[in-house]
Amino acid sequence: MSGEILVRLVVNGEPRALAVKPATTLLTVLRDHLDLTGTKHACGTGDCGACTVQVNGDPVASCLTLAAAVDGAQVTTIEGLATRGELHPLQKAFVKHGALQCGFCTPGALMSAKALIDRNPCPSADDVRTALSGNLCRCATYPRMVRAVQSWSEFDGVPLDTKPHTESERDQQRDHAVVGHAVTRSDAPDKVTGRAKYTADLRLPGTLVGKILGSPIAHGIIKRIDVSRARALPGVLAVITGADVPDTWYGVSPAREDEQILAKDRVRYVGDEIAAVAAVDEETAKQALSLIDVDLEELPAVFDPDAALAPGAPVIHPENPRYAGNINTRVDWHFGDVDAAFAEADYVREQRFVGNRTYQSPLEPHAALAQWEGHADRLTIWSSTQTPHYLHRSLSRTLGLSMGSIRVIRPAVGGGFGAKAEATPLDFCAAILSRMTGRPVLMEYSREEMVRHFRGRHKQYIDLRIGVKRDGTITAVDQRVVLDGGAYTSFGVITAYYAGSMLPTLYKMPNYRYHGLRVYTNLPASGAFRGHGVPQPRFAFESLLDMIAEDIGIDPVEIRLRNAMEPNTTTCNALDIASCELTQTIVRAREATGWREKKGRLPPGKGIGIGCGGFVSGAGHPIYRSDFPHSNAVIRVHEDGTGVSLHIAAAEIGQGSDTVLTQIAAEELGVPYDWVWLAECDTVISALDLGSYSSRVTLMAGNAVRRAAALVKTKLIEVAARELGCDAAALTARGGRIFLKESAETGLEWAVAARRAFAEGGPVVGTGSYQPPKNLGGGFKGSTVGTSPAYSFSTVIAEVTVDLETGFVSVDRVTDFSDAGTVINPLTFHGQVEGAMIMGLGETLMEDTVIDPTGRLVNPNLHDYLIPTVCDTPDIRTVAVESYEPAGPFGAKEIGEGALLPVLGAIANAIYDACGVRVTELPITPDKIVQGLRAIAGSMGHPVWSSDGAGHHVEALVR
Amino acid sequence: MIELRYHRPGSLEQACELGRRFAGSGAFLAGGTELVPDYLRGRETATDLIALDALPELHGIRIDGSVLRIGALTTVAEVAASPVIADWLLALAEAARLLGSPQVRSRATIGGNFCRAVACADLPPAAIAGGARLRLVSSRGERELEASAFFTGSRRTVLEPGEVLAELLVPAPVRHSGTSFQRFALRRGMALAVVSVAARTVLDGSRIAGATVVLGATAPVPLVVAEVDGLLRGQRASADLFTRAGLVCAEVAQPISDIRGTAEFRRLLVGKLVPRALAQATARAEGRVVS
Repeated sequence: MSGEILVRLVVNGEPRALAVKPATTLLTVLRDHLDLTGTKHACGTGDCGACTVQVNGDPVASCLTLAAAVDGAQVTTIEGLATRGELHPLQKAFVKHGALQCGFCTPGALMSAKALIDRNPCPSADDVRTALSGNLCRCATYPRMVRAVQSWSEFDGVPLDTKPHTESERDQQRDHAVVGHAVTRSDAPDKVTGRAKYTADLRLPGTLVGKILGSPIAHGIIKRIDVSRARALPGVLAVITGADVPDTWYGVSPAREDEQILAKDRVRYVGDEIAAVAAVDEETAKQALSLIDVDLEELPAVFDPDAALAPGAPVIHPENPRYAGNINTRVDWHFGDVDAAFAEADYVREQRFVGNRTYQSPLEPHAALAQWEGHADRLTIWSSTQTPHYLHRSLSRTLGLSMGSIRVIRPAVGGGFGAKAEATPLDFCAAILSRMTGRPVLMEYSREEMVRHFRGRHKQYIDLRIGVKRDGTITAVDQRVVLDGGAYTSFGVITAYYAGSMLPTLYKMPNYRYHGLRVYTNLPASGAFRGHGVPQPRFAFESLLDMIAEDIGIDPVEIRLRNAMEPNTTTCNALDIASCELTQTIVRAREATGWREKKGRLPPGKGIGIGCGGFVSGAGHPIYRSDFPHSNAVIRVHEDGTGVSLHIAAAEIGQGSDTVLTQIAAEELGVPYDWVWLAECDTVISALDLGSYSSRVTLMAGNAVRRAAALVKTKLIEVAARELGCDAAALTARGGRIFLKESAETGLEWAVAARRAFAEGGPVVGTGSYQPPKNLGGGFKGSTVGTSPAYSFSTVIAEVTVDLETGFVSVDRVTDFSDAGTVINPLTFHGQVEGAMIMGLGETLMEDTVIDPTGRLVNPNLHDYLIPTVCDTPDIRTVAVESYEPAGPFGAKEIGEGALLPVLGAIANAIYDACGVRVTELPITPDKIVQGLRAIAGSMGHPVWSSDGAGHHVEALVR
Repeated sequence: MIELRYHRPGSLEQACELGRRFAGSGAFLAGGTELVPDYLRGRETATDLIALDALPELHGIRIDGSVLRIGALTTVAEVAASPVIADWLLALAEAARLLGSPQVRSRATIGGNFCRAVACADLPPAAIAGGARLRLVSSRGERELEASAFFTGSRRTVLEPGEVLAELLVPAPVRHSGTSFQRFALRRGMALAVVSVAARTVLDGSRIAGATVVLGATAPVPLVVAEVDGLLRGQRASADLFTRAGLVCAEVAQPISDIRGTAEFRRLLVGKLVPRALAQATARAEGRVVS
């Protein structure tokens, strides 16, 4: 009865007999005993569905199921879905509909769908939603999943190809062979079969498991650490503390390097890393952590900016006088003459807004696998990162190694949204532990640990004042923002600048003042999250603009049109806007939604609201000073001429960048999409790319790829010109042929030219790099943040139903019109926009990280930190407006982040239209709406709901 | 997780015996969807797991004269999909359809939903509203009790060491009776109840002959609001009457404030959900012409 039990399972049709401990879950058996790593570990508590498998046909959370309890069962995992290499029609449907992005939730979602169609082959949309309601997808491919599952049988017996599924997905505007076409994602087949390997799926012989001990208190001095009991535990190979790691301070922002790999003498938040262990398995590692004795002297702690700024507040970073008073970053900007402009305004309104501490919640927990090759003193690290280069650089600087002796490999990444944009203690500790033990060390955050590490959205306290003329023309804007930074800087310096720099990009504002103050608190550090620093100021601005419009009797659409940014404008803060179709997005959204018939005319409880937004297409400057090009590509033609390797270190984290870059390469080379192989991101194979942040990949990496491809094409065209006896300038390449522009029949096969070129001179290689224009920005302090070669613009109109009794908000429909320049791939474009709509909905209505009075997280899980499910998904219509950005490859610019920005304001404005309650503090929960409704019933007015927010210490400092 | 010993008794008698032997250190395992996360959160510390899945007498849904017998190991998915349960006690089927996620419903059992005795559990209020009784079995024999008498506190029940919840007994619905389950959650998919309300009404012509309202997630245990019957009995159904019933329930509720809602907001929800539940139950009662 005790010890191990024999469990017999039939897994994917194969009988298996395994000895397991009673506490062993089915998930552990599948992943660790049977190496079926397609089944994912994401939350471990049954709250996300990533580990779903079929047990005797039923969908089951394998993390909640003890293996012993399913003795004798038939188990089907994602690996069992395809037969003899032929994908199941469901898998093909997911590929063709683009029903996956990062792919981490995909195996679980597919298994839930499979369980549904086994019982009900023709499910309704509601049936699908119910069946998938337990499968969280943070990329929010929900609308596509529903369509894919409903249409699964169409794909029965149909061979899978990469062609666009429907004509409607095709770009209507330009005549390209590959660009603009909704070809399927290059990573889709691997992601729907479970073949895609994420960091924690990698298996190296002898791999140890590492775990980190976090501080139990929010602020304290480490008096003594005794690791002797942990070291003595059998199965433990190494234990490290602050004494065993380099003294280097690090941080992703060189301006504020304030982190240590493990705490040396002080802990600053609950979870601050104190020690790490490497052991033979996770259980032993966890047990070892519990045997580490830490003697801490607890210090007073502060949990909001007001307390942190109060006289006599505990100092969180006494090591550096620069951070005296707990002020991490201070921004003081003044453009134009704000006071004079307010004086000239016909109407001025000011409002306090408070944001929420949202967490990116990628489904894949952070993970790192390090392998130290002692004889060569070289480190190889596989890491779940959005920014392989910054990780590479951080490892080099902290560990004192040259970058040349570190190899960074980025396997598939299960979503990031900013949470994985910097090196984590996992990366550093795995490397150090591997060096100490001589064995590979795999480290993975639990769901709770990843939320504690955080780097989520800064909670912002925003005082916004807008002055307008009688006709709604904006004369002046004054914004004061206090950002709760948590215990470390992370990206926070930049966040504080972004919170101010992006407001003037959307509406013309000649006079603008911005005071930003990022404050240290004893909380997990905030960082960069989709839309970096901007969503809350944008929410505030779009809300206040609507309030002003109502006050002065102008339609919300009109006031936006009156102030909308125009192409080829330099903003008051010296940002250069080139292409800009904001007006078109507003007008078309108004027409498409029947705005005029609806606004202010819907029955009680029904509302419509508008919001606008936009973002940079890649930061104009890197995080640290560097002369290097931001993106670099190498293309090598295979000697046979029927394949092409694209080497680029851009970080595919689910957004579809590998697909888009492959298309750009194929288009420029003149070969079919299927010919291009994108080499995995590996610093040994590919040159520097700054990574996936600031929505930079399509424009920057895209330009680098296009240039590399153009060089290759030029070489082959020269060869072809000689063969054909014509002028190279008369030739073009497309679809695998090189031919005369004037007469397509005259030409030769691309592969023939390639073979000839190889025979003559060996490998045909082209390189390309991209560097943004050098002169971006105004030269004042912080003016680099917000610079970009191009900006996106979009408008969202949300339609909602508010339950006037309970305050529950249903977002019924969202309509998005986006100016993203040329759309390279409509499939991934619409997928990104839909995902942004749904993530924005979550941020607006339900998401917040809650902290208790001792600084502990109340909801570091997916149980009480709620993100939208498929059932919360509205009808979504997304449209790309006609636009061409000269700085982008084939006219493209960003979509991933900008699309999120209008959503918060649009929903808030729709709620106001529905029920008259203006909630200024995110998230807009039913409770707040009900309180607003009660206030209306009491006062017959339209109250503005807000809590106290930050107090007078903040006021004193920012005024 | 801690080191466990796993027991898989082949008979109910054996299960009871093991439960008694490991009083204090044992836990019965049904679906495990509460138990496993409780281990992970350190809330469960039992070292001896007694798996009940090999006991056929705990499985199955069957009509036995004027009683519907639902085995304690019936999964929530089976409860949700059962036409018989939908016919006899629709509120229970509705509650089952809302519980957790499909993955949880596949494994979670109706017995587990009772025995883990979490305040926001969905099934108990619905079962209690339908007048369900529970059959408990131990080595000393068996006993039956009202489902409402099962709970003694948050995560506490009347179960004695070695006692197993064997089945739920649902009485046949009478003519002109109807039930409803209403729930408020913070999102539409996979969510816990902030407040739930189960109601049952019986009509006599155009007047209410009896009404039961049970509140979930508003007290440590499901709360039967006895005052509602007194208020409604003999009255004609009306929105105003149901609103008053809601206000009575809101006063009786003893909610706490937690991450899902403040006590004040929960009280308000009770006041709004009770009328909806009573109205729907009454509409269904009007439709039910056969018993």
